[in-house]
Amino acid sequence: MEGLQAAMIRSELEEVVGAGHISTDATERLVYSTDWFWLPQMWLDRGEALRKPDFIVRPGSAEEVSAVLQIANTYRIPVVPWGGGSGSQGGALSICGGIILDTKRMNRIIEIDERSLTVTAQAGINGTQLEWALNEKGLTLPHYPASANCATLGGYLSPRGTGTISTKYGKAEDLVLRMQVVLPDGHILRTPVVPQHAAGPDFFRIFLGAEGTLGVITEATMQLDYLPAVRLLRAVLFDDLGAAIEAGRLIMTRRLDPFVIRLYDPRSTASRIRKILGYELEGAYMVIGFDGDADLAALQEQKAMEIIDRLGARDLGRGPGESWWNHRYDFYYPPQSLKLPWMYGTTETVTTYDKIEKLYYAEKRAVEEGFKDWDIDFIGHFSHWFHWGVMVYTRFIIRNPPEDAQAAARLHNRVWNTAMTAVIKHGGMINEHHGVGLKLSRFMRRQYGDAWPLLERIKQALDPSGIMNPGKVGF
Amino acid sequence: MSASAIDNCRYCLMCRHAAPVGHVMHDEAVTPHGIALVAASVQRGLLEWNTSSISALYAEPDSGNCRAHCITDQRLPAAVAAIRATVCAKGLAPSAVYKVHERLVRNGSAFGERVFASGGAEAALFVGDEAHNLWPDCVASARQLLRAIGTDVVPVGMGASTGYMACSLGFPDTARDHARACIEEVRITGARMVLVLAPVDLFTFRQLYPERLGITWPSEIALVDLASFLAARLAEGVLRLHDGQSDAAYVDPTHAVRAQERFAPVRALCVAALGRPPRELFWRKERAHPVGSTALQFSRPGIAEALTRARLKDAQATGASSVLCEDPGTLYQLERYAPDYDLKVAGLYETLATLTRA
Repeated sequence: MEGLQAAMIRSELEEVVGAGHISTDATERLVYSTDWFWLPQMWLDRGEALRKPDFIVRPGSAEEVSAVLQIANTYRIPVVPWGGGSGSQGGALSICGGIILDTKRMNRIIEIDERSLTVTAQAGINGTQLEWALNEKGLTLPHYPASANCATLGGYLSPRGTGTISTKYGKAEDLVLRMQVVLPDGHILRTPVVPQHAAGPDFFRIFLGAEGTLGVITEATMQLDYLPAVRLLRAVLFDDLGAAIEAGRLIMTRRLDPFVIRLYDPRSTASRIRKILGYELEGAYMVIGFDGDADLAALQEQKAMEIIDRLGARDLGRGPGESWWNHRYDFYYPPQSLKLPWMYGTTETVTTYDKIEKLYYAEKRAVEEGFKDWDIDFIGHFSHWFHWGVMVYTRFIIRNPPEDAQAAARLHNRVWNTAMTAVIKHGGMINEHHGVGLKLSRFMRRQYGDAWPLLERIKQALDPSGIMNPGKVGF
Repeated sequence: MSASAIDNCRYCLMCRHAAPVGHVMHDEAVTPHGIALVAASVQRGLLEWNTSSISALYAEPDSGNCRAHCITDQRLPAAVAAIRATVCAKGLAPSAVYKVHERLVRNGSAFGERVFASGGAEAALFVGDEAHNLWPDCVASARQLLRAIGTDVVPVGMGASTGYMACSLGFPDTARDHARACIEEVRITGARMVLVLAPVDLFTFRQLYPERLGITWPSEIALVDLASFLAARLAEGVLRLHDGQSDAAYVDPTHAVRAQERFAPVRALCVAALGRPPRELFWRKERAHPVGSTALQFSRPGIAEALTRARLKDAQATGASSVLCEDPGTLYQLERYAPDYDLKVAGLYETLATLTRA
């Protein structure tokens, strides 16, 4: 955007947030042109330019967000909310230009309620910084995503994120009590004081998973926990992945309440566990952990180990479990992480126990056979367990992708099409916790089938001008 | 190493929580990831070095916070310094950078004049540029404390830049000249031990010299942190002090994260100085954020001020009426803005010196 229109919009935005909190600088716009999605990163890596935002705006309050959205509506320009930029799905890409609404100035902790165990904070607060503040009071927000060091509270909620200890404490969406949201027309609303009630439909959940397409989350009240007295961790090794999944199912359906079950498939055990933790093992590596009061955690662990033992696993002891816990985020630091010039993607999915193993093998087969010419690697771990099923974090890796950016993009999308087709066919969801973003937008209609028109109507009602994060989440 | 750090950091967000400039500016482009992505984008022809991109390049504080929180030890500050060197060599750096470089070349100091040591002793106290020119009281106090425990020192490096500033700005040759001059001056005194006042010098002598300048600190001359040295004498009962009384907050100095073994001893000194444990900032110890006492004070003064004000605000939130620190550079920056926060600024060595018992 150039010329008079750009000048008009900029001057109006400056009146709202102040000249120091808006940028049209070319360097800043390039930095904000990519998030953590492989495709735009690859694009820049190959020296290709991305569509940049026209304006980067840093509001300091919900009122300023509201005013910015009203300006965007006037001029019909896109608005893309931005937290930490750590999304892996392209949800924060300004593919149509417009405004990047960086929420990081809104980073205040408003209240820590030590009686109700809640924290109310602005959505732009950094996850680890929030956790540090809570830890000073012996409290924790039990949402420990690998992205905590960079993600924001709003970024936890917007794509329905899941953290390492979700198996006991739930997903981010399970921990939120209340939100302040700015609707696309600038209207500021607060959801009811608590989520569990019978005073009408649970409308506030439509903003969870909307990824900024239905409004901007500007504040949230989250449920806290006390820091646990103990965390008991150990690792076990299964020869058979199916037996390991069954162990997880039994532990969950008997409500033994582990805070973590992390089960690596044999390929991941041989590659990632070896690389990061240094253990050379064959089989399916499982870490299991119980926390809270020492006696209760020990009893839960004992019961779980009886199940694990019965299913034929070898107990590796506490060391390998604790080592995993202490190094659980090391997997994400380059050069240990998956990184360019490799092509990779996380095709994580979730379904019920009756389907999960078939789904995993079906997706694995489809990807490995479909792209064997590319020597594709398919690895996975089962990491977020529910009473009814489990999420599998499957990943594909191509170590020698095409050099040409266009060709690489085509190959990348073909792998995703293959993987998602297998997932949907076998009863899985196209995603469990990374969100939809741009990457999975094209699968939403297929995923939702008859229910999709309802979502479209909601979008139309709330955002008739279609300014909010266009091209994402199927909209 | 430089290319590798840029490559590894350009899409890595894992130190964001600890990165000070991004935190106070709320701007992706001045985070470690953002700066690395700018450098990588210039390499790929997506950007060129111009006022805008160089402004981002000079936003990296060289305080060590990103590396201290990097489990794969990416040396991004060194990589950025190396890129700044190419930018400086092409005449593209901000004019303020060349002005301070002129002073560094002319005077061997960014802030004043250099004075060479005379005399010799078994031990030397490295004074440096900031202590000599910006916060001189700490030198007399440090010497008083050392005398009280029977350690005679010759002051060296008075008003001397160690090379850190020149290196960080992008002038490694000047930095090497400064490094050699500092080492030579110490050698002439015949000292076998050099005490340093603050983490910046500890970092520069033991890490920056070999990693960035290819210069090794002489192995026969022990490098000793003064705060740790005094804390050990305090614990042994050799350093005897009257009881202090203050509710001050302790500000971990700039570069504190680069010398983490100092956290406990310097706090032991604080307890002695205050008569109680210091009030602690949120940004302390492993996550200690710098003030604007790095090259930012010349290249991006607005960021330097924002960092300093953030520390003062942090101290104010503790309820303290004063702040305590041992680093002359940090103290100088804090004092510039402390009145805006109704805070007094006190030097740790000066406070301890007033409590010395015979």
